[in-house]
Amino acid sequence: MKDANLLLRRFGAALKAALAIAFLIPLFFTVLVSVRPEAEPVTNGNIFFGSEVTLDNYQRALDIAPWSLHYLNSIVFVAGTLLVQLLTVTAAAYAFARMKFFGRNILLLIILLQLMIPSGVLLVQNFRTIQLLGLFDTRVALMIPYWGSAFGVLLLRQTFREVPLELEEAARIDGANLYQVIRHVYITNAIPAYLAFALVSVSSHWNEFLWPFIITRSEEIRPLTVGLNKLIKTTDQGAFYGQLMAGTLIVIMPLVILFLVFQRQFVESFARSGIR
Amino acid sequence: MRLSARQRSLVGLLQPYLLIAPTLVLVLIFNVAPAFRTVNDSLYKPARGLNAAGRPPEFVGLQNFRDIFDDTHYMGGRFLRTLRNTVIFAAATVGIGVPLGLMTALLLNRGQPLLGLWRFAVFYPSLLPLIGAASIWSFVFSDSIGLANALLRTVGHPGLNWLGDRNLVLFSVVIVNIWKQAGYFMIFFLAGLQNISRDIYEASSLDGAGPMQQFVYLTMPLLRRTLLFVVVIAFTFAFQTVEQLQALGEGGPADSANLLLYLVFQNISERRNWGYVNAMTIVLIGLVLVFTLSNFLLFERDEPT
Repeated sequence: MKDANLLLRRFGAALKAALAIAFLIPLFFTVLVSVRPEAEPVTNGNIFFGSEVTLDNYQRALDIAPWSLHYLNSIVFVAGTLLVQLLTVTAAAYAFARMKFFGRNILLLIILLQLMIPSGVLLVQNFRTIQLLGLFDTRVALMIPYWGSAFGVLLLRQTFREVPLELEEAARIDGANLYQVIRHVYITNAIPAYLAFALVSVSSHWNEFLWPFIITRSEEIRPLTVGLNKLIKTTDQGAFYGQLMAGTLIVIMPLVILFLVFQRQFVESFARSGIR
Repeated sequence: MRLSARQRSLVGLLQPYLLIAPTLVLVLIFNVAPAFRTVNDSLYKPARGLNAAGRPPEFVGLQNFRDIFDDTHYMGGRFLRTLRNTVIFAAATVGIGVPLGLMTALLLNRGQPLLGLWRFAVFYPSLLPLIGAASIWSFVFSDSIGLANALLRTVGHPGLNWLGDRNLVLFSVVIVNIWKQAGYFMIFFLAGLQNISRDIYEASSLDGAGPMQQFVYLTMPLLRRTLLFVVVIAFTFAFQTVEQLQALGEGGPADSANLLLYLVFQNISERRNWGYVNAMTIVLIGLVLVFTLSNFLLFERDEPT
């Protein structure tokens, strides 16, 4: 029995290493290919390094798209989305958590419809709505479908309900108005939930491609993912993978580094993003 | 400003509605209304012919649905192939990706050195933009210089046309999706495992249960809820994750790896296909709803009171 357990543990360790390597290999070779001379196959000579280590690919990737502009656009997109979300979500979450009003349940159910019919699926109609509103090719068009968040309302409503009612009553007796109650009693006691919401919101919008691609035309407002798409389409004809991998790394590296630093928070936030 | 008691009670009455108004209005504009308009527009065909531009669309009843489910129709052929791909894609992602996520969670669960590194290795793909992940794999799968074929050649295989062979390309897209999602599934299992008390394992060890018995009789029954939940969200995501196609063959030769939402996206500016695109969206909404609704019914423990 003891031998069998030891064997099982050894097997588990080997499996774990194999899995980790399998998941990391694509990233590993992306880095390698990005510093090899262009069009030097990995099968050519040394599998790890080409005839020389070069940054030419990065130079050419940088020339194809205005990456600093795309970075700025992505930052504006996720920050603008998140800031408005924080306001709408906080207000609605407080109302649903602590106020009694006619139609409360049915109104909450309507908001929850967003979770059942995500706006991504409604691409076609939302595209037309944006055109009708005259918002096509504007920054607002990128963000507006996400300014209301059923997920955020649910998450914060749950958190607000766990705040002891006595705290609110005490603040009211001290003369606090609604804004002050929400600000000092509820928000202060829900920081981890806000952090979880922010991480999920930022990372999902940072990665978004289809919506920004169809709803914008000007490079001046298009985010990173759309810039990367341009590089992919440029690369299609000649298979310049060195340049493509360099560009891909330019796009994904900040996220990977952010994850390395805040790993625990990311994992915990994402774990909350599903389980309610 | 001083308010009379009457005015104050009116403000108090309106206050909750004002607080929820922004969220409610946005959900109505971008989720509820478009869902209804999709149903409506799926029953119409745009006017055809020379002066079509100004003429109102023509009501055709369920004709658009008949067309897209008709194999011989130009759109029906594409739609049916794509629908089949979407179901295979979702089933394969869930059937392979979820057990893989569970397995990695079990392997990583015990407190151990380098946990951060292991977790990073499996989870980082979930954080990448789908299109970035696809870009990486477009190199892995590339014909001449790609990694996958380089590996195959070391064992004497001539290499495969991963993104060009119509029997293979859907499989390649599935691999990318599993690589991308398994880590995301894993964290739910890790959270579920952490909720299982260590005492149960100790007690069962004292009674002589080995690791296999513990897995079958303790871990699995206690994880059932988490497993169900992950399966449901995995299906929901699978129907919506299509952006990788942009970098991986754009649906493959003759739609051999096309997916529903991507087909909709490809036809978004084709005026003559407007009715079809809406009918296809209805089918997609139907698929998504089955799973989001079951998620809601199974897991929304916290009912509105």
